[in-house]
Amino acid sequence: MTQIFEILLSGITQGAVYCLVAVGLSLVYGASRILNFAHGSLYSLGGFLAWYLVAGGFDLPLWMAVLIILPVLALTGIGIERVIIRPLRGSDNWKINTIMVTLGLAFIIENGLQLVFGPGTRTIAPFVEGTLELGGITLSWYKVWIFAISLMLVGALEYFLGHTRYGQAVRAVSQDMQGANQVGINVNQVFSFTFALSVVLTGIAGILLAPVFLVSPLGGWAPFLKAFVIVVLGGLGSTKGAFVAAFILAVLEAFVIFYIGPSWAMPAWLVMLIVVLMVRPKGLFGVWEN
Amino acid sequence: MSDFSKPDTSMIASVFTGKGLVRDSLVFWAVIAGLAMLGAVLGDSYVRHIFILVFIWCIVIASWDLILGYAGIFNYAQLVFFTFGAYGSAMLSIYAGFTPLLSILSAAAIGAVIGVVIAIPSLRLKGEYVALFTFAVHLALPPLIQQGKAIGMGGNTGLLGIPWLNLFGFQVSSIDKLTWYWVSLFLGALCVWLIYFIVLRGRMGLAFVAMRDADTFAQAIGVNEYKYKLLAFVVSAVFTAVAGGIYAHYTSVVTPKILGTEFFLMAMVMLAIGGMGRFPGAILGVFLVVIGNELLRSFDDYRLLLLGVVVVVTVICLPRGIAGLFERQSKQP
Repeated sequence: MTQIFEILLSGITQGAVYCLVAVGLSLVYGASRILNFAHGSLYSLGGFLAWYLVAGGFDLPLWMAVLIILPVLALTGIGIERVIIRPLRGSDNWKINTIMVTLGLAFIIENGLQLVFGPGTRTIAPFVEGTLELGGITLSWYKVWIFAISLMLVGALEYFLGHTRYGQAVRAVSQDMQGANQVGINVNQVFSFTFALSVVLTGIAGILLAPVFLVSPLGGWAPFLKAFVIVVLGGLGSTKGAFVAAFILAVLEAFVIFYIGPSWAMPAWLVMLIVVLMVRPKGLFGVWEN
Repeated sequence: MSDFSKPDTSMIASVFTGKGLVRDSLVFWAVIAGLAMLGAVLGDSYVRHIFILVFIWCIVIASWDLILGYAGIFNYAQLVFFTFGAYGSAMLSIYAGFTPLLSILSAAAIGAVIGVVIAIPSLRLKGEYVALFTFAVHLALPPLIQQGKAIGMGGNTGLLGIPWLNLFGFQVSSIDKLTWYWVSLFLGALCVWLIYFIVLRGRMGLAFVAMRDADTFAQAIGVNEYKYKLLAFVVSAVFTAVAGGIYAHYTSVVTPKILGTEFFLMAMVMLAIGGMGRFPGAILGVFLVVIGNELLRSFDDYRLLLLGVVVVVTVICLPRGIAGLFERQSKQP
């Protein structure tokens, strides 16, 4: 019984981080209908920047590094949106073209990281040590912290989208781009903003997970793929769907890893994805776009 | 929508009845004959090797162009078909003792089955959900191949010792580049010709373009969407699997690396540079990218970075690829 609880708990803590990566992907899709294939490499970018500031070149404390990195990531997001995505918007097959352009970007970022930092893996020392004992279940404090921070960030995002004026503008754009434009919402600004936010979120996930999973230049594809399955399962563009799906899949993963083996996690996710898509072709919370 | 007010019927009829088909085919096969002679002149076996890869890639990219560019289905599982073709053909010839030509043909059948298997869930989905689903299949396949070690798929190191191609009792070794050059040129040209001249100029191609450009309208005039989208998957998968089979017997090794990001990016670059849905665009893209990639070999550290830059720049500056460039010029009298 305690074993099942332990698996469940480890799944839930993992789910919170997956959620952080997936929500960003979903947010950008929701607002601008862009599927950002460079999301995973931006995750690695966050991890590498943190490693560089904390252990690589400077000896900054982690909080200071994060304070420096956040604006950098936000500016990166705005820059990507301005330079390579905005020129494509509205051209005749922009859906395929944006997928291609972000894939190209993913290769630029990951190979750039490899050139600058070398191909090896890096790690950052966790900011808390020790384990937590709870009725026979052991959990590392670091995982508890990751869980708390991720949940807090996702909660803040939900609050922002639901209860602030700018968040409502974002939701308006995601529901009806033209209508939002007509009532005076600066659609382009919303696109830039959501892109920046998504880069920041995935970058934070990269920093948080660096002590657990290590960072490597090509290591962004695994979290990207996971975020990707989560977003499809939850329904494209639905942040709530991504939230629910992240936890479902993370718990599934924890059980599959324990009972069958780690290499079966991804096939299990795929089976889950196929089953859900056969029953609900638009994902758990998705809405067809007309 | 303005197109409906002035229907260009002569144009549609000409493609449908195959007007100009014989002339265009003659031009196509003349170019192929030229390439065949070029192969004999090119002395270097390295250059021939590059061209053999180009011809195999042409089949993959032409099939991808068929489903993505003409039928407008966001299928990103093209290399899955290729992998199944390669592994299927390799395993049949290693374990079941099929002669390589027979196993390549069987790979076509395997491709058809896989095409149906991937098409059925995909057809329930719309737009980019298809892209997401098919790409997820692509990414989930390498771990499955590693698990397939139990049934003789060789795991991470891949399948080794795939028999050489046997042409009417004549063994064609991988070292015999000239024969391989002609074999792959002929098979590649045949597949490309079948795709662009027979399938896409026939009723099927017309249905694809109609569904891509005006979904609802196509259904209203009686295009069976389900049937033709299924056909798009199957036809595309069959040709790609054949390419996979040829590749397996040429290199005599298949590893899960063919599902790696580098191959996928290369395929994307070929389509992006060439331009989708505009014959010879994608094919030209294959020639440019494979040859360009080889020229960049000396900058190996920067090669993938440069490829990424090329994709971004091409997509932004030439959203219709090289083929789009020609179109713009030819419209100006």
